[in-house]
Amino acid sequence: MKRFAIAADVIDTDALRAELQDGGNGGFCVFEGWVRNRNEGRAVDGLEYEAYAELAQSEGERILAEAGALHGVDDLCCVHRTGHLKVGELAVWIGAASAHRDEAFRACRYVIDALKHRLPVWKKEHYLEGDTAWVACHHAHGEHSRTFAPDYTRQTRLREVGTEGQARLAAARVLVLGAGGLGSPALTYLAGAGVGTLGIVDGDRLEASNLHRQTLYDARDVGLPKATLAARRLAALNPSVTLRTWTEPLHAGNAADVFADFDLVLECTDDMRNRYLSNDAAVVAGIPLILASVYQYEGQLQVVEAGGTPCLRCLWPREPAADAIGSCAANGVLGPTPGVLGAMQAMEALKILLDLPRPREPALLLVDLLQHDLRRLPIDPATGCAEHGGCAAVARKALAEAQRIGDVDRRFTRLDEAAAAGYRLVDVRDAEEIATHPADCATLHIPAAQIAERAAALGEDRCLLFCATGRRSRDAAERLRRQGRGETYSLLGGLAALDTERARTHS
Amino acid sequence: MTTLHLQYYAQLREQAGVGAERVTTEAASLGELYRELAQRHAFSLPADALKVAVNAQFSDWDRPLEDGDTVVFIPPVAGG
Ligand SMILES: [Zn+2]
Repeated sequence: MKRFAIAADVIDTDALRAELQDGGNGGFCVFEGWVRNRNEGRAVDGLEYEAYAELAQSEGERILAEAGALHGVDDLCCVHRTGHLKVGELAVWIGAASAHRDEAFRACRYVIDALKHRLPVWKKEHYLEGDTAWVACHHAHGEHSRTFAPDYTRQTRLREVGTEGQARLAAARVLVLGAGGLGSPALTYLAGAGVGTLGIVDGDRLEASNLHRQTLYDARDVGLPKATLAARRLAALNPSVTLRTWTEPLHAGNAADVFADFDLVLECTDDMRNRYLSNDAAVVAGIPLILASVYQYEGQLQVVEAGGTPCLRCLWPREPAADAIGSCAANGVLGPTPGVLGAMQAMEALKILLDLPRPREPALLLVDLLQHDLRRLPIDPATGCAEHGGCAAVARKALAEAQRIGDVDRRFTRLDEAAAAGYRLVDVRDAEEIATHPADCATLHIPAAQIAERAAALGEDRCLLFCATGRRSRDAAERLRRQGRGETYSLLGGLAALDTERARTHS
Repeated sequence: MTTLHLQYYAQLREQAGVGAERVTTEAASLGELYRELAQRHAFSLPADALKVAVNAQFSDWDRPLEDGDTVVFIPPVAGG
């Protein structure tokens, strides 16, 4: 038997020992990790551990499975504490029982070494804005970060960078929205370059269909939150980078405030709504924004300067309808396409932070990777928002409107859970979609395109609209709210998010 | 009649089935040209959801067409 647990209370070692007793075992080896009275050279009277529970659980189970397979040991138990611990208290207990002592010793040693390097047990700091900073404690990457000295010589050798440029990077704070196909290369290069603080915002959990283009992740991580996974990977890549994570998407109420904590923002989501939100928040906060997006084999890149003009809305004033613009899920994408564009975003970010030469006239860059066509279309700042009071006024108005409508997204792991919570379920997908992928719950069916005309069918009930991805349902819910209907919500992530959740809990 | 070189991006390329084509048209403006093309290729996006550029410069839809113009239609894209 193999058992791994994270425990908030005192570890019952007798019970663990009893679990490992088996007539076939002739050797039993235990390792206990205790809290010392010194940490990083300073006297301490205790410690506080926090684990990212889901991640720690899966990583712990994986380590036990590896130790078992490697050393031929079947009976392994490990418990790691969280919470406040006093000096001398038991922080981690590992027991390995086997037919012979050698395997038991080796398996036990393997588990503690792997835990120290890989278990996501961190010192967690909470900020007022609702984000979380994971500061690696000595059990995770701290030990490594003390001995690891980053070597940036390959970039400091560049005349335009030098030690002064490196110091600028170390002082820089960059926020990356979306840790997917664009975010993977962008974050990797920025962490590698030694950007001092990286913020990561991603509300999604990893799906198997992400892996062909989202190079930060492993197959074994499917079902886990991407922001946390990305932070773990980047902490391993460059332990000197401070990482801040948001596992919920930003919204009109907090985006500009969060942006104000950073020097630069990269918009790497696959969500049109989010692109407009980032644009408006960056313009209002006066933070430069690097936008990129892809479609199949091509991409677009736009840098919105700190002054905010011209912006995304100067080109396309209004957000297009969710079903009009396509997506990676609906239209397909080849992995290197976001790879190229995300790397270009990292390049633009470094150019801005290091003040490298770059074209100063604003432009939209079109990249066609099939035909090797790279096209810069200059944007005239006198057109677009300038005709409607300027980018800042347009952005403030858009943010205020979004706040007035409010956040319609609601997260559920099952549809019947929402029904039990008193929501009337409304399927806004097309008839063919419902036929091929029926919802496993009784629902009303009104296609998104007809929601406004048929709103009366919803009565006064509190409604949860849903579709495949959560985009059409969000559009529809907002349309209803704009018409004055209250209590109208949208299932965040749509049915795809439920499937991910199901795969995770049943795996 | 004007002969133009056209380029399509994103779902326009997909719906047209080609990335570029040469057309001869009687359309007098970019707006008229797009209406003509939208019908021929069954484009799903309305003109006001697009940007259009002529000879590598963004342009208004009422711009008249000249022989040899290179016209590029660009929808916003959101993939990542
Ligand atoms: Zn603007």
